[in-house]
Amino acid sequence: MKYCGSCNPWVDLTRIARHLTQVAEQRKDFQLVPLSEDNVDAVVILCGCPRACGNKKEVRDKARQSLVTAGESINRRPIPEKDLPATVERELLKIVEQLKDSLSAGA
Amino acid sequence: MSLMEGKQYRGSLRKLKPEIYYLGEKIESVADHPAFIPHVNSAALTYDMALAPEFEELLTTTSHLTGEKINRYTHIHHSHDDLVKKVKMLRALGQQTGSCFQRCVGHDAMNAIYSVTYDIDQKMGTDYHKRFIEVLKEIQTKDLMVSGAMTDPKGDRRFPPSQQKDPDLYVHVVEKKSDGIVVSGAKMHITGAVNSHGHLVMPTTAMGKEDADYAVSFYVSIDAPGLIHVFGRQTNDTRKCDCMLDQGNVEYGMVGGEALVIFDKVFVPWKHVFMCGEYEFAYDLVERFATAHRQNYGGCKTGLADALIGATYALVQVQGTERASHVRDKLVEMVHLAETLYCCSIACSCQGIPLPAGNYMADPLLANVTKLNVTRYAYEIARLAQDLAGGVLATTPSERDWQHPKVGKYVDKYMKAVADVPAETRIRLIRLLEAMTCGTALAESMHGAGSPQAQKIMIERRANFERKKRLAEKLAKIGEQPRFVC
Repeated sequence: MKYCGSCNPWVDLTRIARHLTQVAEQRKDFQLVPLSEDNVDAVVILCGCPRACGNKKEVRDKARQSLVTAGESINRRPIPEKDLPATVERELLKIVEQLKDSLSAGA
Repeated sequence: MSLMEGKQYRGSLRKLKPEIYYLGEKIESVADHPAFIPHVNSAALTYDMALAPEFEELLTTTSHLTGEKINRYTHIHHSHDDLVKKVKMLRALGQQTGSCFQRCVGHDAMNAIYSVTYDIDQKMGTDYHKRFIEVLKEIQTKDLMVSGAMTDPKGDRRFPPSQQKDPDLYVHVVEKKSDGIVVSGAKMHITGAVNSHGHLVMPTTAMGKEDADYAVSFYVSIDAPGLIHVFGRQTNDTRKCDCMLDQGNVEYGMVGGEALVIFDKVFVPWKHVFMCGEYEFAYDLVERFATAHRQNYGGCKTGLADALIGATYALVQVQGTERASHVRDKLVEMVHLAETLYCCSIACSCQGIPLPAGNYMADPLLANVTKLNVTRYAYEIARLAQDLAGGVLATTPSERDWQHPKVGKYVDKYMKAVADVPAETRIRLIRLLEAMTCGTALAESMHGAGSPQAQKIMIERRANFERKKRLAEKLAKIGEQPRFVC
């Protein structure tokens, strides 16, 4: 996960982060790692408003896939704040399943 | 080390032994004295937020000197992005503290000294810039908090430093030795002075040849022999020692906390001296520091306004007035004014200019416009908040009466407004609003980074009236008609 910086967030980004942390602990088929690590499969870019300061090429390039929340939106699709954690989870799990499939296909 | 946490910062203050006086007493530890704890907490948040993932992008960056991750407060701006992030960082901090967090002055001093020492060395063949870089590396590596000490007492403003009856009314060199200089004088209104690790001292005005001894800039540790600090009083300051709820902003206080810093023959080794007699550069240092510091106010004060607007909005809800059209209009106006200030800080950052030393500075004209607007709009935002709060802002009984065995129940009964909201909620909001709008905080918005007239002087210098005149003459067809006015 990479935050924009939270200068004046329109939504509670830490709520999304806490939710994903819980999901990771429960599912155990993915883990949250620092962005500085190698071979990051996906980065969830948490931006507090539509300016999306965190959505930078150098951040996206650190992972194979990216998911961008920007205020009340995910990948530019409007999502009410109350639904952000669950929707980010759903979108992230789609990526996780795709990665699992491609790993199986590779094996 | 590079990144301290707040707890370590407090521990580092306890290891220092500065000479500090307040209300007639010598203070043994600012980190532990109730009068100073809120100020220390505010500054400590600049450390703790750097370690929080949600603020990392704003509060940290990479040192151009060492390549290490550092707190942005020890960084030299090297791009427009750096300037913009500085403003955003200040807004984020202001939202969390509701008060000044003090570390900006030293940060701006670092950036100003960085560029001016480079210029001095280029012209005079000195090595100030190299000396400063060594100090800067230490500041970055140890994550130190430094104050920016510019304003002298000044005495009779009609006369320059060298013509004052009392030579100590401006900090000056009294002796030069083989291993350093000895300075005397004082600096006033120094924000965060008593809870910094050291002071970066700068001259406060343009100087001539006769003022050469006053053209001095250096770094000194807060507990250097001969350095004395006298902490200034603030509105309701004793509330920090005798109550909790009535403080309003218990954890972070109401304003930065400024001190009179006295230099009584203080020795400064040459390695910590960044200007000594190069009077023609004094003005550059003043202007660059002032520009950097004025750039800030649309960041920090907007962050404070965010919290103040929130308190006002919450208060009108608990008082049952939130649906009145004038109430909504005034809340919108508060937001309009706050965001206007933010626009100004962002604009002067985006229009920043590169300097020969390689660092970036905000646009001076727009930075001065930023601060001048703050001197007006902060008062108007406060006025609207007080308007909406009502007269109860000035008359609310003390927490001791609210807790009194006999009258407490009456205070609780009559301080309640909307029936299902506890009186305590209303009292807490009133006290927060009081702390943020009644007293010292507004004076700081007026005079911090220079008084309004100082901004007007800078704006006049950069207004380019002659070019504007040519624009008008062309449109009015006066005299020769160029195709475009340049």
